[in-house]
Amino acid sequence: MSNRVVPLPRSGGGSRPHAIYLAIGFPPAAKSSAYRLRETANQFVALGWDITVITICQEAWEREYGLDHTLSEKVDPRVKVVELPLIREDLETDIRAFSEERSLDPAGWIKRLRQREQKVFPEPVFGGWRYELEAAVLRVHREHPADLLLASCAPYVNLAATWKLWEEHKVPYAIDFRDGWSLDVIGGGEAFTRDSVSGRWESKVLEHAVAVWCVNDPIAGFYRERYPHLADRVHVVRNGYDEDSLPDVTGRSPDPAAGLTFGYLGSVNFTPAFLESVLDGWRIARRDDPVVARSRFEVRGHIGAGPAREANRHMDLLKEAAADGVSFGGPVPKADLAATYGSWDALVLMLVGGRFVTSGKVYEFMATGLPVLSAHDVDHDAANILAGHPLWTGAVGLDPHRLANSFSEAARMALKATDADRRAARELARRFARPAVLGPAVRHLTELVRPTTAGDSTPAVAASTEDVQP
Amino acid sequence: MTTVLIVAATAPKQPAVLIEALERFRSRGARVTVACLFNSADLPIDPALAEVRTFAVPGEKRDARLRKALGRAPANRKVWLHARHNSWVRQRYRAADLLVALDARAVHAVWEMAQRNTRAGAYYGLVPAQKALDARRTESVGRRLERQVAAAAGIGARGARRAAVQTVRTTLRKATGQTVMSNPAGAWFWTHAVAAPRVPDRFRSKLAVRLHDSAVKAGRPAVAARAASAAANRINSAGTRADVLTKAAQAELALGRVPTGLHDAIRAQLTLADSLLPRDSKKAAAAVSRAWSLASNRVLHFDRLTSPMSEDPGAFLAPFRESTAARKLSAKRGRLAPAAPVPTDRPLRLLVTTLINDNFLQEILERYRAMPNVEVRFLDLYDDPVTRPLALSGSAVMEHLLAGESSYGAKIEEWLRPHLDWADTVFVDWCQATAALFTLHDPGSARIIVRLHSFEAFNFWPHLVDFSRVDDVVFVSEHLKDLSTAVLPQLTEAHGPRLWVIDNAMDLQRYPRSKPADARFTLGMVGFSSVAKDPRWAIEVLRRLRERDERYRLTLIGSDFNNRTSKPAKDYGKLLSKDLAELEPLGAVRRYGQTDDVPAALQEVGVILSTSVRESFHCGLVEGAASGAVPVVRDWPFFAGKAHGARTLFPADWVAATPEEAAERILAATATEERWAEAGRAASEHVLKTWDWTVTQTGYDRLLLDD
Repeated sequence: MSNRVVPLPRSGGGSRPHAIYLAIGFPPAAKSSAYRLRETANQFVALGWDITVITICQEAWEREYGLDHTLSEKVDPRVKVVELPLIREDLETDIRAFSEERSLDPAGWIKRLRQREQKVFPEPVFGGWRYELEAAVLRVHREHPADLLLASCAPYVNLAATWKLWEEHKVPYAIDFRDGWSLDVIGGGEAFTRDSVSGRWESKVLEHAVAVWCVNDPIAGFYRERYPHLADRVHVVRNGYDEDSLPDVTGRSPDPAAGLTFGYLGSVNFTPAFLESVLDGWRIARRDDPVVARSRFEVRGHIGAGPAREANRHMDLLKEAAADGVSFGGPVPKADLAATYGSWDALVLMLVGGRFVTSGKVYEFMATGLPVLSAHDVDHDAANILAGHPLWTGAVGLDPHRLANSFSEAARMALKATDADRRAARELARRFARPAVLGPAVRHLTELVRPTTAGDSTPAVAASTEDVQP
Repeated sequence: MTTVLIVAATAPKQPAVLIEALERFRSRGARVTVACLFNSADLPIDPALAEVRTFAVPGEKRDARLRKALGRAPANRKVWLHARHNSWVRQRYRAADLLVALDARAVHAVWEMAQRNTRAGAYYGLVPAQKALDARRTESVGRRLERQVAAAAGIGARGARRAAVQTVRTTLRKATGQTVMSNPAGAWFWTHAVAAPRVPDRFRSKLAVRLHDSAVKAGRPAVAARAASAAANRINSAGTRADVLTKAAQAELALGRVPTGLHDAIRAQLTLADSLLPRDSKKAAAAVSRAWSLASNRVLHFDRLTSPMSEDPGAFLAPFRESTAARKLSAKRGRLAPAAPVPTDRPLRLLVTTLINDNFLQEILERYRAMPNVEVRFLDLYDDPVTRPLALSGSAVMEHLLAGESSYGAKIEEWLRPHLDWADTVFVDWCQATAALFTLHDPGSARIIVRLHSFEAFNFWPHLVDFSRVDDVVFVSEHLKDLSTAVLPQLTEAHGPRLWVIDNAMDLQRYPRSKPADARFTLGMVGFSSVAKDPRWAIEVLRRLRERDERYRLTLIGSDFNNRTSKPAKDYGKLLSKDLAELEPLGAVRRYGQTDDVPAALQEVGVILSTSVRESFHCGLVEGAASGAVPVVRDWPFFAGKAHGARTLFPADWVAATPEEAAERILAATATEERWAEAGRAASEHVLKTWDWTVTQTGYDRLLLDD
C-alpha cells in the first residue's frame, strides 16, 4: 500500500461539510439494515452535511433480498446515492450468463470464486469488491472532497475502502460495526484471532477510527476488551424502529371464537431445526389450547436466495404446517408494514444467537404494542430490550413444550390487553425510535470531526464508554 | 401458450415446493414438462400439473460410444449425455420457451439445451424461472440472431476442444502407463521429469501418484518409491507431500504389498499433524488419523503371514512416538479420585461392556449374575442405533483428544456418565473403541478394567485410551502381554495400571465325548476363515501324512474362508481353493461348515490342529483337546523364539515348528489306536485341569471381587 498523501482542498472552507457513507444495503434494498442506513443519512443531512451514499446496484438486490422502492420515499432528496455495478456473482440464476465451467460444477465454481475473493480481502462473498469500492471512494472524494467517511459493516470489505481513503488523503472515518467482525455473535466467541489476516485488517482500521459504533452493550464490551486503548471510541448505537411501520392498535377486541392471528415478519435466517421447534410448539399449543387451535400463524419475509429462493427445507416445513394453520406470504413492502402488523394479534419473535444479538426486529415488534412471544435463547440481548414490556411472554428458550405455553400466554394477553397496556408497551419502546437513537450518534460524530458545525448543543457523549444517549 | 421444461437430475428434496411452483406456472397459463434423470415414479405429480418423464438411457440401451462418454464425463455432463440421447427430451427442449434447472446437477444439461434453443430463457431455480416468466420480454431479431450464431459456433468449438483434450489425456495416460514405467528408460525419464524444478505442486503431485501407480502395477515397486520420493522432495506444501506419499502407500496396500514408502508416508502425515496442531486441531486430527489408517491397515498385520508390528513394535511405532500430535492422543489426563474399593455394605455394581463382540463374556456374565453380592449390567455400545455412530468413529475421538473439548466429547459424556455413575467396576472387553470412550472423561470413582485380546495390539484404538484412567489391564496370555507392553510402554510405567494374565473363560466340560475309532485319522481345525489361521499349513501337514497313509483326512469346522477383506486375502483364498478343489473330491478334506454344536463336530476329530501365525490363546484348539483329540500346535510364528508363545503356553510336546515336525508328531501319536486314545485322554485331562472355567474363574474372582 502506498503512503502517498495527496492534500485535497476540504469542503470545510465555510460551506457544508461532506461525508461519504459506505452503506451497502441502502434503500431501495429490501434489507433489514436499510432502515438504519436511511436514518443515518437523513440525520447527516439534517445536521447540515452533504452526504454521498455508496451502495451497489439495484439489480444486485433483486437477486438477493429484493427491492422495496417504498423505502426510498423517505430518503431525504438531498442524499446523493452512487450505485456501483457490483453484484453477487454467486447468486446469478440466468444460466445463459454461466460459463461452461460453471455449468459443469456450480458448487466448485463458487468455491473457487470464494477463494479468489478472499485473496483480495479476507471476507467470503464480498472480498472481491475491494478494488471497485476503493476506486469509488477515491473518485467521490476527488469530485467532492470529504470531511468524514462513515463505513457501515457488513460487508467488511468496506474497511478496505475506508483505509484507502485514510491512507491516501487522511480523511477521518468512523465505523458503524453493527454486529462486529471479530465477534461470533451467534456462537459467542472470537470469530478470528488478532494475528489472522482479518484480525490484522480489523485492528489496523480500528486504530485510527474516530468512533466505532456497535448495536448493543455486549458487542461494545467485546470490542472494548479486545482493544482497551480504543475503549473510549466504542459506542453503542442501537437499532430502532420507524414510526411509520407501526399499526393503529387502539380499540382492538379480538374474537376468541374466531381465533387469533400470530405473525412473524423478517428474514427466515435461522436453521430448519429452529423453525421446527417453533412449529412444534405451535402444534402442541393448538392441541392443548382451544383458542390457539382456532388461530392462524402467518410467516412473512425472505426465505433463501438465488436458486434456493423459497425452495429450501424451511419452505417444506412451512408447507407441512399448513394443515396446522401456518401460512407463508412472502416479503412485505415497507409501505405495507403497518397494515400487516395491524392484521395480527400477537407477534412471534424468532431470533438466532444469544447475548450478543439484538436484531432490529425486536424494537419494531416492541413498538407495535402487540403481545410479543419470544422464541430465542433465554440469554439473548432481545430479552434485555423487552424487559418491562407489559405484553411480553418472556424468553423460555426453544423447547417446544415451553414455547407452546408461550403461545397460549400470548393468546391470553392478546384477548385481555387493554389500550392502556398497548400504550404502555409503545411508550417503553419510544426511546428506540430511530431518530432518537441515530440523531445523537450522528451529532456526536459531527462534533468529533467538525466541532463548530454542531451548533451550541451540549456534547452528546456523557461518559465515553457508555451509549450515545438520546 | 408458454412451454416450460424443468430438468431434475435428483429427486427434489422439497417436492411440495415444486408442486406449488407447478401450480403457479399453470395459473400463468404455462404448459410444464418435468424431465428427470431418476425414476419418474419417485416424483408423484398430478398429470394435470405437468408431464413427468425420466430420460435416463437404460443400461442395456447404451451403445459403446455413450458408455465410454459416460465413463469419463464429470457428473453434470452425464446428465446432458443422457438428455442428448433421448428424443423425447430433445423435442421438448427445442420447443420450450423456458428451460429450468431444478438442481445443481441439472445446470449443465440446461446450459447445453440453451445453446441449442437460443430463443428460450434458461434459469436455475424455480423462483427465478417464475420471475422470468412474469417479465418475459421479446428480444430483437438481431440480438437473437447474434446469440444463435455464437451458440452454433460455441457448440462446434467445444466439440473440437473436448476431442483435443481427450486426445492429449489419452496420450499422457499411455505415456505414463505400466508399459513405459516397466521400461528402464521410461522409468528413468519420468523419475527425473517428476522432480524437475518449477513444476507447480498440484501437477507434480498428480503426476507422481500416476507414475507410482503405473510402476507398482508394472511390478517395479522400487521405481515407484523413487518416483514418489523424488516428487515429494520437491513439493513445498507439507499437505501435498503427505498426500502424495499416502496415495502411493495406499496404492501398494491395495495391491497387497507392504509399501516401500510406508514410514515416509506416516512421517509426512505426522509432520503435517504436528505443524497443524497449534492452529487447527481438526485438520491435525485428520492427518494423525490418516497416519494411523496406514499403520493399522489389515494388509500389514492380518492378511499376511508376518507383521512389522510383531517383528519390532518400537521401530514400527517410532514415528508416532516422535510426533507431538500422536503423543497427545494417549497423553495422561489422570483422574480426580482413585477408584473406590469394592463396597462391603451392598452388592458390587459391575458393568460389563463391549462393542459388538460378546463371544468371550458369556461365562463371566453367567457367573456374576448368579452371585447375590454382585449386581451386573451389560452394555453393548452397538445396541442403540442412535448412539451407535458415536462408538464407530476413531477420527472423532482423535479430534476430541487433540482439541481438548468438542461437542462429540460432550455427547460421549452425556451417554456414558450415567453408566460410570452407577458402576463400581466397569469391565471393558476388547481394548478398542469401548476402552477409549470410557476413558475419554474422568471415570469418577468407578474402577476401570480393560481386557485386551489380540487384534487390538495391531490397531490404533489402544493408542486413544488414557491408561492413567485404567486401573487394571487383563491379557489372555503372557505373549500378548509381552507384545502389548512393547506396543504401549505406558502400561509398564510407574503408576500405570495393574497388569493381569487371566485365561479365557471356557466351559470345557461339554467337550469330552467318545470318539469313533476312525477319528484317529481325522485332523481337525476349528476356524479357518482368515489368513492368520493359515489353513494351508494344515493342508501341507495333511499332504505329508497322506504320502505315508491315505487314511488321513482333514475336517475344517467353521465359516468358509473370507477372501473379500483384501488383495492378499484374495490371493491366499485362490491358493486355498485350488488345494480344496484337488483334495475334496478325494475325500481328503471336508468342510464341515458353521455349527452351534462344536462338541458334536469335534467328536469325529482325532487330531486337533492350531496352524495359525498368531493367536492370543486359541480356544478352538483347547476345546478340541478337551474333546480328546490329540493337540498339535504350530509354533505361532509371530511369537516363535520370543520369551512367551505357543511353546510356553502349551506342553512342549504339543508344539511343532514345521509341517514335517507336525506330521511326525501325528504319525507317532496315532500309530496305534491305544497310543492315540492315551495321548488324547492326557491332553483332555490337562486342559480340563488347567483351563476349564471351574479352574480359571478364581482369577476373575480375584480380579473383580478382590478374593
